[in-house]
Amino acid sequence: MRIYSKEDYRELDEKKFKLVQMDHDIKDEKFEQEPVGFFKDALIRFRQNKASVLAFFIICIVLFFTIFGPYMNSYGFNDQNSDTINMPCKIPLLAPLGICDGGKVIVNRRADLLGDPSYYPEGSILEVFNEREIQGVKMVDVKVDYYKYTGNGDKCFWFGTDYLGRDLWTRLWRGSRVSLLIAFVSVITNVFIGVIYGSIAGYYGGKVDMILMRITEIISALPRIVIITMFIMYFGTGLFAIIMALVVKGWVHTARMVRAQFYRFKQREYVLAARTLGIRDGILIFRHILPNAIGPIITSSMIAIPSAIFAESFLAYIGLGLQAPEPSIGVLLSQGQKVLLHYPNQSIIPGILISVLMISFNLFANGLRDSFDPTLRGA
Amino acid sequence: MTKYIIQRLIALIITLFLIMTIAFLVVRLMPGSFYDNQDLPETVIQAINAKYHFDKPLIVQYFYFIGNILHWDWGTSIAIQPNVPVFDLLKTRVPISLQINLISLFISIPIGIAAGSLAAIKKNTLVDHFISFMVVIFISVPSFIFATALQYFLAYKGGLFPIIYDAAAAMGTQKAMSMFLPVMALTFSPIARVTRYLRAELAETMNSEFLLLARTKGLTYRQAIMRHGMRNSFLPLANIIIPMFTNILGGSLVIERIFSIPGMGGMMIDSISVSDHSVTIAILMFYSFISLVTMLIVDISYGIIDPRIRVGGRK
Repeated sequence: MRIYSKEDYRELDEKKFKLVQMDHDIKDEKFEQEPVGFFKDALIRFRQNKASVLAFFIICIVLFFTIFGPYMNSYGFNDQNSDTINMPCKIPLLAPLGICDGGKVIVNRRADLLGDPSYYPEGSILEVFNEREIQGVKMVDVKVDYYKYTGNGDKCFWFGTDYLGRDLWTRLWRGSRVSLLIAFVSVITNVFIGVIYGSIAGYYGGKVDMILMRITEIISALPRIVIITMFIMYFGTGLFAIIMALVVKGWVHTARMVRAQFYRFKQREYVLAARTLGIRDGILIFRHILPNAIGPIITSSMIAIPSAIFAESFLAYIGLGLQAPEPSIGVLLSQGQKVLLHYPNQSIIPGILISVLMISFNLFANGLRDSFDPTLRGA
Repeated sequence: MTKYIIQRLIALIITLFLIMTIAFLVVRLMPGSFYDNQDLPETVIQAINAKYHFDKPLIVQYFYFIGNILHWDWGTSIAIQPNVPVFDLLKTRVPISLQINLISLFISIPIGIAAGSLAAIKKNTLVDHFISFMVVIFISVPSFIFATALQYFLAYKGGLFPIIYDAAAAMGTQKAMSMFLPVMALTFSPIARVTRYLRAELAETMNSEFLLLARTKGLTYRQAIMRHGMRNSFLPLANIIIPMFTNILGGSLVIERIFSIPGMGGMMIDSISVSDHSVTIAILMFYSFISLVTMLIVDISYGIIDPRIRVGGRK
């Protein structure tokens, strides 16, 4: 029998060849649907979760104000003015509804002075009520337009001012910028350290894994509040120090999660195949195994953001907040807390903002978790 | 089991030592001087240094520090209540904090269990959605925001409760009233956690075969949950309740400040702001001790509550 080589076929005339299936019908159909990838799949599921989509839009709106809010009026975040101390909210749009009209109730005023323009400038009295007589003097409670009352009728502070006359609108958005910056940077740093640490521990296993995991065990045994407090006490209350304080313990969780993913996937056949093809460890780790962990990483970092915002406010409350004059939501809250009973707007507005942010981020993270890993739905 | 507990106890002591070392280094190496007054004569500074061993090398100072703590000498307060031993200060403050924390923990557990099982029984109805909605809010909003809101609306505007905690009040209605708001602010988050956990746990139990059996023998949905499902869900619940105590303790650091409760939290904040470091260290050590012990209890209780889980034993 003759053995044909490649060259023999080349010499043959092309016309002698015939495609076997030329006159057969092809029975299988072409795919009509587009291929659905990992992220698209997640996006489709995410869209079904109305609450999470809403939360996402709220986060976007807050981010918009955080970026552009401080430039929306002419006041700087540190413009102090002793004439406009502790002004109430004044939003012309809402004034007809009776809220945020710059009004303020002053109690126990003498009734006979109401007409005196040196006490109550023109048009400053909005409402007089609760008339009574105390020791022969007629007393009333007056609701005044506090802006006209203090001679600042031409000014307008949307969210009022603080004890140094600084505009709270500008400070609020600048503060939320700082808070979100602290949250985002600390979470990104956590993920960065955690991913590398967890990858090394999970991929190499054995002794390396044991030593690395002992270290994380020690770190995670230290109570979070204690470590953060000591860290700030030592390094001072700069922006960088606060971010680092949140990193000290934060990366351990990511590292453990990534390590668990590596243990799940490093024995798979496709990894073995890639290794047989002679792929380096580095590429194997980051190109072939790590992408499996991307869903849990994104989800857990989203959950970490509200807790970072919380930790920052917590630090501000215990007196380890950001250094003045830079505001953050926590600093504003703890300042507002001191004057809560007299100027509630100074703590209620940042309180609403931080609550809305925390709720939105939690809902958003829940939606992400459900869409990346549908088996955990509702857990 | 005994071997495991001993191992864990040794690990706990090592961790405490580690925290103590970090605390020592933080305080000793912190920038700034112990002497605020720059006009102090050199001889006085030397005398103080000699008395507190600040003139010795760091490692020797460390052994003095550890030795003092082993003799149960936590130092003396220099600013909050000058010349009072720190431990005596703690002795008056800690019970108040613990009282408030334990009360909020014990109040939140039954409410959380009730809400969680209600949500599971009425799954996917309006009641369930409402409870889930409240859970999201209670978990997300920080406790100090709740405290601020309660203080302003209920105490100041409504006049229903005292605005701040009344330390002098004797046991009774007056004390209960003044404790009501801080306790309430602290309970929101644990209630939500217990509810969410129990609902998820019950919802999972609902799909198990023994509940199907319970339904087939004629029990209604509610009866099946209450008699069979609930019992199974209580086991894992114990393991989230104990660590919750550490969380409440952390939250109460701020709540105590808001309601002027003369507890540990307020003292910690004060000690940080006036740089009374020995007090700060003592409070942080106390806090670490409690959270480490709770962690230990959780790990051990895994084995006791559910014998199917074996802790630390051989294969």
